[in-house]
Amino acid sequence: MKKALRKDTVKEIKNTFKRFLSILLMAFLGVGFFAGIKATSPDMVETIDAFYREQRVNDLQVISTLGLTNEDLEELKSIDEVEEVQGNFSADAKIELENKEIIAKVMTYLPMNKPILLEGKYPETENECVVEKSFLTHLQKQMGDSLVIEIEDTKNDKGEAVPFLQQKEVTIVGIVSSPMYISRDRGTSKLGNGKVDYYLYVSPQNISASEIYTEMNIKIQGTEGLITSEQAYENRVEDVKQNIEAIKQRREQARYEALVGMATKQVEEAENEFLKKKQEAENKIAEAKQEIESAKQELLQGKQELEIQKNKAETSFQQADKQLKQAEFDLAKKEKELTKKEQEANSSFTSLEQQKQSLREQESEIQTGLAQVKQGIAGYEQALQDSSLSEAQKQIIEQQKKKLEEQKEQLEQNKLQVTQGIAQIENGITQGRQELSQGKRQLNEAKKQLQTKKQELTQTKQNTNAKLTKGENDLTTANQKIEQGEQELTKQEEEANTELASAEQKLMEARDEISQIEHPKWYILDRYGNAGYTSFIQDTESVANIGKVFPVVFFVVATLISLTSMTRMVEEQRTQIGTLKALGYNKIQIAGKYLLYASLACLIGGFLGMSVGFVLLPKIIWMMYGMMYQISEIHLNFNWVYGGTGLLLISLCIVGATLYAVMMELIHTPATLMRPKAPKMGKRVLLEKIPFIWKHLRFSQKVTVRNLFRYKKRFLMTIIGILGCTSLILAGFGLRDSIRSILPSQYQKVFHYDEQINLKNNLQQGQKEELIRSLANLEPDEKSQEKTKEELNNQSRMEVKNEKDKSTIVETHMTSGKAISAKGEEEVQFIVPSQAQEIDQVIKLNDIKTKETLTLGPNDVFLSDKAAKLLGVKEGDTLTIEDSNEVKKEVKITHIVENYIYHFVYMAKDLYETMYEEPYETNVLLTKEINLSAEEIMQMPQVASVSQVSSMVEMIQDTMDSLNYVVIVLIVSAGLLAFVVLYNLSNVNISERIRELATIKVLGFYDKEVYSYVTRETVILSLIGILFGLVAGYFLNAFIIGTCEINMLRFSRTIQPMSYVYSALITIGFTLIVNLVTYFSLKKIDMIESLKTVE
Amino acid sequence: MFGPSGAGKTTTLNILGGMDTATSGEVWVDGKEVTKLKNKELIQYRREDIGFVFQFYNLVQNLTAIENVELATQICKDSLDPKEVMKKVGLEDRMKNFPSQLSGGEQQRVAIARAIAKHPKLLLCDEPTGALDYKTGKQILQLLQDMARKENMTVLIITHNGALAPMADKVIHFKNGTAQDIQKNEHPIPIQEIEW
Repeated sequence: MKKALRKDTVKEIKNTFKRFLSILLMAFLGVGFFAGIKATSPDMVETIDAFYREQRVNDLQVISTLGLTNEDLEELKSIDEVEEVQGNFSADAKIELENKEIIAKVMTYLPMNKPILLEGKYPETENECVVEKSFLTHLQKQMGDSLVIEIEDTKNDKGEAVPFLQQKEVTIVGIVSSPMYISRDRGTSKLGNGKVDYYLYVSPQNISASEIYTEMNIKIQGTEGLITSEQAYENRVEDVKQNIEAIKQRREQARYEALVGMATKQVEEAENEFLKKKQEAENKIAEAKQEIESAKQELLQGKQELEIQKNKAETSFQQADKQLKQAEFDLAKKEKELTKKEQEANSSFTSLEQQKQSLREQESEIQTGLAQVKQGIAGYEQALQDSSLSEAQKQIIEQQKKKLEEQKEQLEQNKLQVTQGIAQIENGITQGRQELSQGKRQLNEAKKQLQTKKQELTQTKQNTNAKLTKGENDLTTANQKIEQGEQELTKQEEEANTELASAEQKLMEARDEISQIEHPKWYILDRYGNAGYTSFIQDTESVANIGKVFPVVFFVVATLISLTSMTRMVEEQRTQIGTLKALGYNKIQIAGKYLLYASLACLIGGFLGMSVGFVLLPKIIWMMYGMMYQISEIHLNFNWVYGGTGLLLISLCIVGATLYAVMMELIHTPATLMRPKAPKMGKRVLLEKIPFIWKHLRFSQKVTVRNLFRYKKRFLMTIIGILGCTSLILAGFGLRDSIRSILPSQYQKVFHYDEQINLKNNLQQGQKEELIRSLANLEPDEKSQEKTKEELNNQSRMEVKNEKDKSTIVETHMTSGKAISAKGEEEVQFIVPSQAQEIDQVIKLNDIKTKETLTLGPNDVFLSDKAAKLLGVKEGDTLTIEDSNEVKKEVKITHIVENYIYHFVYMAKDLYETMYEEPYETNVLLTKEINLSAEEIMQMPQVASVSQVSSMVEMIQDTMDSLNYVVIVLIVSAGLLAFVVLYNLSNVNISERIRELATIKVLGFYDKEVYSYVTRETVILSLIGILFGLVAGYFLNAFIIGTCEINMLRFSRTIQPMSYVYSALITIGFTLIVNLVTYFSLKKIDMIESLKTVE
Repeated sequence: MFGPSGAGKTTTLNILGGMDTATSGEVWVDGKEVTKLKNKELIQYRREDIGFVFQFYNLVQNLTAIENVELATQICKDSLDPKEVMKKVGLEDRMKNFPSQLSGGEQQRVAIARAIAKHPKLLLCDEPTGALDYKTGKQILQLLQDMARKENMTVLIITHNGALAPMADKVIHFKNGTAQDIQKNEHPIPIQEIEW
């Protein structure tokens, strides 16, 4: 290029800096956005790759349902491509804190999958542990605090149950961040409410059963140069996976046999012991029986002896009784005699008494006579004494006295006789009485004696009887004892028998258990087994997908705008081009200036764009994802491939457009070029032919309408530019809306249940029914108990409805598997409802086309729509389904149903049963409005795990929120683009019409009038652009969603009305800003310069 | 206004028309000191007091002849009826044509119509015949003269064609950026009689 031209170019840039800047800005935005967003995904992947490399995260992981042994470890190590294998231990633990109970994943701290130490130190001894940061912050714990970790016992290599940890109480010594949990998702657990809250690491020394590993972490050779999730890496991993797959069955079998062997040995030991015990018990019983037998013998002897003694006593008693009777008899006789004698004596006594009485009368007569005599005597004596009395007298008296004395003598004699007679009688009576009383006494004596004897006999009898009774009692007691002994023996025998029986039962059970030992199953997981990693990689894919669509729009818009800009520039310099051509410069030399101009703008803009794009976009996106993932800083790369591609593309677009514009001019002859270009013809527009409208337009409106159609290129460019921006913004919003609506769509339109309760395996039907009853708050004693099974079957075996609380429980059978079509395969969840019409209460099966809610017929198979799309199957097509046992079956899809999250295949029970030839079995309950918390449900013995829709929703929401950030980046970038586009077009507009604008300024249009004269067009064009943009945005959104949709999710293609409003408002906002800039540019238009000459 | 290129005719006209500002001196139009007017007042001055006719007509290409006139009249208070004006310039039959459909003379007539329709105090014409052929130029000059005579309008014409001087009432000679002298023509000659 000639020097003058170079100078000219530099000057041109200086003079038309605004134009240069706008092209530069287009290149900047185009390249920056393209390169930046393209680089973000690889940068993210590289970041996680470096992070995983640093923490030595496993490439593969083998988990077995029954643990892994050192032999497994050696076998895995011996696989060629395997670089390192480490056995690890992990378990879910319950940790009680002051006010709550949390579920934690306990892992061992090993060099592989090594957590990053944030604070403190790694656990070194068995009583140390490290936790994640949120554990401390959320639970108000500190370093140095100790925790008690409760973990279910595990089985050691001998198959014995041992505690998982040696030391349950551990001290927090550090804070770590695990590469295995980069997202907030901590996984599920069979404990508590079914959700793991935190993770923590303990020292491997703390593991009791250190020979049985929970998992094997494997690092693969030759992955050094490969980047995780990239095809080469995936292939490498897949190869090794195949190799492990090859030893899998053998190792599973070996483990099974080992377990069976161990169990068999144990059962045999137990059996021997059982037999020994049985013998012992039998011996003991026999001994006891012997004893009882001899005791019985003794008892018999004692009885006989007692009998003899009894007899003896009986005989002696009889004799004694006889004697006593004789004596009694004699005594009675004697008594009789005595009584007779007494009677006789008494009668003689009576006569004697009578005699005595008469004697006494005589005696008293005598006495009276005597007394008279004595008186007479005494009177005579007195008379004698009387001196006066003559002797004669005295003599008479003396005589009389003598007579009296004689009488007295007589009387006294009589008296003596009488007295004697009385004494005699009295004597006789006394004597008789004495005799009598003697007889009586004797009799009494004899009686007494007899009595005594009798008493003696009674005593003896009593004694003897007592003795006998005692003997008898003794015997009875002995008998009772024997009986008791016998009873006890029976009892003991029974007990021993039951004990033995139960022991035998146990033995049988143990034997049964051996037969029931599951065949261990190995799961060979690659990194996608880790939820955090998977979601991260999925996110990088969404970012990559967005990078596929959005930059294209950017490029298209940028190209169009640059084309307009450069065409204008070339047109402006038409005369100069003509002059140069006339001067003899060739086409290339002339075009060179413009190409250089455009290239410079592209290069500077492109490089600036790259430097900003490569840093800013990944950083922004990372920052937003950083809230989701715990990975340190993003690794930024200057990605030459993307940068170069972007630059090349934008250069191709802009420089190509310039070349096109120049060439269009250069085909003309210099003469033509030097003459001013014929001004564009004014034209009537179609609208003028409709006078009804045209006549009602104001003058300025007419002008605007005409102008709109006059500058067709600008018209188109503006509309396309605005359309592009609006559609990008709308697509951004639409993406956000789609993401936001997934959850409500799934959990309001499709799924209506609150909890999914997974049942334990091998439950009896009764246990299930019991569970359902308790979930439904029905007491087992209530009337439902009375319902016969049949009734339950008919009415509500599967779904017990309680009028009181309206809880709904629906029984289903769920398994995960694959659906395979010619187009590919997808992981799906099979749902077989126990009662086809009941599933309706918790899952709405809406036909995707008719929107009708369907019921599963006996031969129906429904497939969820996203899966149908991915697999390329329609209603009526045949699909191969594979269950978890890898059994493949062909089914005919009868309907495609609405679904948003995951893939589902709904199958009728009848079809399921006939197809798999096994009876339907409920393993999952879907519940709604039951009055029990997740914890309460979890505590029921039949329940394996509970997942609550609310917590599931929360988790998914987190993942989805991250996509929002990308949307924000999109909206901001699209807005920027809108701004640049409008600014550019406005500049072109002004420059193209500068004469016209100058003229109307001369005519005396006020600044505002000039402004509205121009911007009215811009506004209308913007509005049209926005309108079309909204329509285009709808389709762009559909397209973007189609490309960046995650396979597991179906984004609904609805855009919220508000999003349309926002998109329009944002574009209008930018239009207004640009118009403001235009206002000042218009003010600056120099009328004189513009009017001087026609260019 | 006569003078060679660069003598300052156009600058004077521009200052007079309120399109440019004077670095020094005063310009008075109808008792108004134009040099002291603010931007907005200047616009108003252009709008109400000045009519401009350019060498290259400067018609808005997208508007028909009459619409170009309307462009001016719609912002003016006491404007003339565009149709009347069009009749006056002899274009009543071509009112609905676009500038590109008109000849140069016709376009210039439209430009004049646009300028006079505002009923300005001053009609400023910068080389109105510069881009026209002899005959058409004459017609335009005739039109301008008629306007001045019939409408009683002050018409200022820039030309470097000295032959036109006799038709003017007043002739200003420009040289080296200054008005050298101002001659008054007592007897201006009608344009038809001038030949050049």
